[in-house]
Amino acid sequence: MRSKNPFRRITKHENLPLFLVLLVIIVAVILVEFFTVRSMNFSTVAFIKPMNISNVLLQVSVTGMLALSMTFIMISGQIDLSIGQMMCFIGTGLAFLIKVVGINEWGAAAIAIVVTVMFQLIMGLIISRTKLESFIVSLGFLSIYRGFTYLITNGREITIEGRFKFFGRTYFDLTDNFRLAMPVIIFLALTLIVWFLLRYTKFGRRVYAVGGNENAAFLAGINVKNFRLLLYGINGVFIAIATMTQLSRLGVGSPLMGEGKEIEVIAAVVVGGVALVGGRGNAWGTFIGVLLLGIISNALNILGVSPHFQYVMRGLLILFAVSLTYVSSLRASSVKIQVKEGQD
Amino acid sequence: MPEHLILEMKDICKAFPGVEVFDCFGFDLREGEIHCVVGENGAGKSTLIKMFSGAHTPDEGDIYLDGKLVSIPSPRAAMQIGIQTIYQEHTLFPFLNVMENLYAGNEIANGVTLNRREMAKKTRKILKNLHSSVDPSDIVGQLGSGDQKTVEIARGLLQESRIIILDEPTSSFSQTEIDHLLSIIKKLSEDGISIIYISHHLEEVFKIADRVTVIRDGIKINTYDSKDITEQKLINDMVGRDVSLFYKREKATIGDVLFEIKDLKGNGVKNASFSVSRGELVGIAGMVGSGRTELAQILFGARRMDSGEIIVDGKKVNIKTPLSAIANNMCYLTEDRQETGLFLQHTLDKNIPIASYTQTKTPFALPTEDVRLTQKYIDLLKIITPSVFQKVMFLSGGNQQKVVLGKWFATGADIFIFDEPTRGIDVGSKEEIYKTIVELLQDKKAVIMISSDMPELIAMSDKVMVMRNGTMVEEIKKDQISEENILKHSIGGSII
Repeated sequence: MRSKNPFRRITKHENLPLFLVLLVIIVAVILVEFFTVRSMNFSTVAFIKPMNISNVLLQVSVTGMLALSMTFIMISGQIDLSIGQMMCFIGTGLAFLIKVVGINEWGAAAIAIVVTVMFQLIMGLIISRTKLESFIVSLGFLSIYRGFTYLITNGREITIEGRFKFFGRTYFDLTDNFRLAMPVIIFLALTLIVWFLLRYTKFGRRVYAVGGNENAAFLAGINVKNFRLLLYGINGVFIAIATMTQLSRLGVGSPLMGEGKEIEVIAAVVVGGVALVGGRGNAWGTFIGVLLLGIISNALNILGVSPHFQYVMRGLLILFAVSLTYVSSLRASSVKIQVKEGQD
Repeated sequence: MPEHLILEMKDICKAFPGVEVFDCFGFDLREGEIHCVVGENGAGKSTLIKMFSGAHTPDEGDIYLDGKLVSIPSPRAAMQIGIQTIYQEHTLFPFLNVMENLYAGNEIANGVTLNRREMAKKTRKILKNLHSSVDPSDIVGQLGSGDQKTVEIARGLLQESRIIILDEPTSSFSQTEIDHLLSIIKKLSEDGISIIYISHHLEEVFKIADRVTVIRDGIKINTYDSKDITEQKLINDMVGRDVSLFYKREKATIGDVLFEIKDLKGNGVKNASFSVSRGELVGIAGMVGSGRTELAQILFGARRMDSGEIIVDGKKVNIKTPLSAIANNMCYLTEDRQETGLFLQHTLDKNIPIASYTQTKTPFALPTEDVRLTQKYIDLLKIITPSVFQKVMFLSGGNQQKVVLGKWFATGADIFIFDEPTRGIDVGSKEEIYKTIVELLQDKKAVIMISSDMPELIAMSDKVMVMRNGTMVEEIKKDQISEENILKHSIGGSII
């Protein structure tokens, strides 16, 4: 495959820098905690306790699920800003169906999936059939979903009273203090699926092609419009799964349950190496990106950093990641110019 | 006509990597005259004006303005000494109105507030002078091409330009727009403004020129006064390349008709019919803007046709999308491979197999299989690259073109549409691409080749179809293919 020499394969892998950043941060956090907070007693370092690790994984899972479908969308050169508010809308709607209307849990879940996909397809239709920017169109839908959310809830939370536990509250105790929660399993499974789709299927190749050069993709026999539509449909399925997981974990349909998720998700995806212009990125990059952001806020909590300052730290990390992409794209574009001049 | 030389160019040399465009070139412009420049595609017309407009600087030689030596290092410098260049493409701000466009960067202000009234007054005066019906408050993007060109001229006048250079101003113009523009230009020259007018429409040249200069391969062939111009003279001057430059291709046996179109219309093509047989190369000639690329786009389903028939292998087919074209074993190598042919930031193994996915039934695309396929075409086409994992943007122009070829070879195409296959490619790679094309013919494929490169068309084609203004006007058989014959039909002056 890539190269016969495994060492070269690793050093050339596009996720390597990101992985190293992750390692450096983990080691740094352990050291800082070891020397400052725990006064050099290694056995009390909370950051690497199995319980903490399973917690971090649980905390990032919902964001992670959304980030995976955002990976598809962003590699193909588009964006979806509506995911957070859509989660509020679908989540509270689902809670409403279960609590107020009294529909069977699985029936409600099926309705949630259908409705989510339907709305995403409407958005996909608008984006793929017109020349409107997905940025603006999804911003419009963001506002629509916010309205729907408040129409459903009137601003109040809807509890589901311990029902609908499957997605968020199923646990598997692997050892005494390491438990794997269902959201983590879903997140890992979806990562594997997205990785497989992007790497081993025509569908995946076309995601890159459409994002890399839409015109060339069209001339290579890809129906770009329908393909974009399909991606938004898939996005709907992922959002529905993430929403059900979130609702199940929280136990209440809150009008704020997905507030600001889009920023978190886009940040994770970009940190994970997906280019905003499209054509670049992969599933494991996004996985690491999600983990990185999750680990940082977890570590800052353990180290006792004020939550207000955590926002600053997260922002700095995003800027750092984006500038890495910028530097590499600068290098690439200067090469492109050289090639063009050579032809003149 | 005053004999005062306003602009003069002496012993200009200009070379680009690999090609010498100008060698000891001389050119002069009299005050108040309309000096037309004609020549084939790629003769050096655009390079010539770019040296006046400051876009290129000559390697050697001098430019004199009013007899004084000047240097024009940048477009801004050109404007400051009174040379305004109006390029083929519009360079206006489409969302601003006419007045704002005219004064962009040179606004008249009272302190910090703009003096809109004064600007509107002056704008109106200039437009009136040009006999234009455009109002200063019209939004430029909503004006027709002709009016937009007028606005660009007005902008030049506002900056008190003494020399206006127009590069192919009338492409995509209607006849009335052309007539109006020509009358404006006449008027400008009567007002003492000197004009350099570049065009390949000889009718226009005959209507307005005071003098005509013919250039070919960067050499000035002749300059005529208007009374001495005949179409035959101009065409004779434009043709006549060195025969030794021509590629000598091997023969291929021509078989049955594989691809045929009848009365095709749409996408700017007014009427086109021709057929290609297996083992045959049909060249499509015509000046830039004659509808050749537009035709290729319909053939490949990238644009809709309004009417007409496409027949592949004896069967009438309906080609609505590139996908259906590929299903009919067609392929299309576009003129701009970087914009529409390649995924520059992707590696070779992501570029070459992409179109072949339409041919397989499974939903999977195994990386190992892609690498194998890519390696096969790297070897076959002798693509020079360190590995299949090289990003395409790091390859040279010739190798990039071979990647595009590889992409279509992988689909097993039978009908090849090449649009300017060797544009921007060095001589060595050119020859390899010609060889590959001949091998295609010997392999019983049919090839349609759009080209502006005369030697290429003449050397490679079994017959040449000539397009002019969206219409396929002439079929030239193998034994009658000559530069003169092609040019005569593609330019179509007053005599024809």
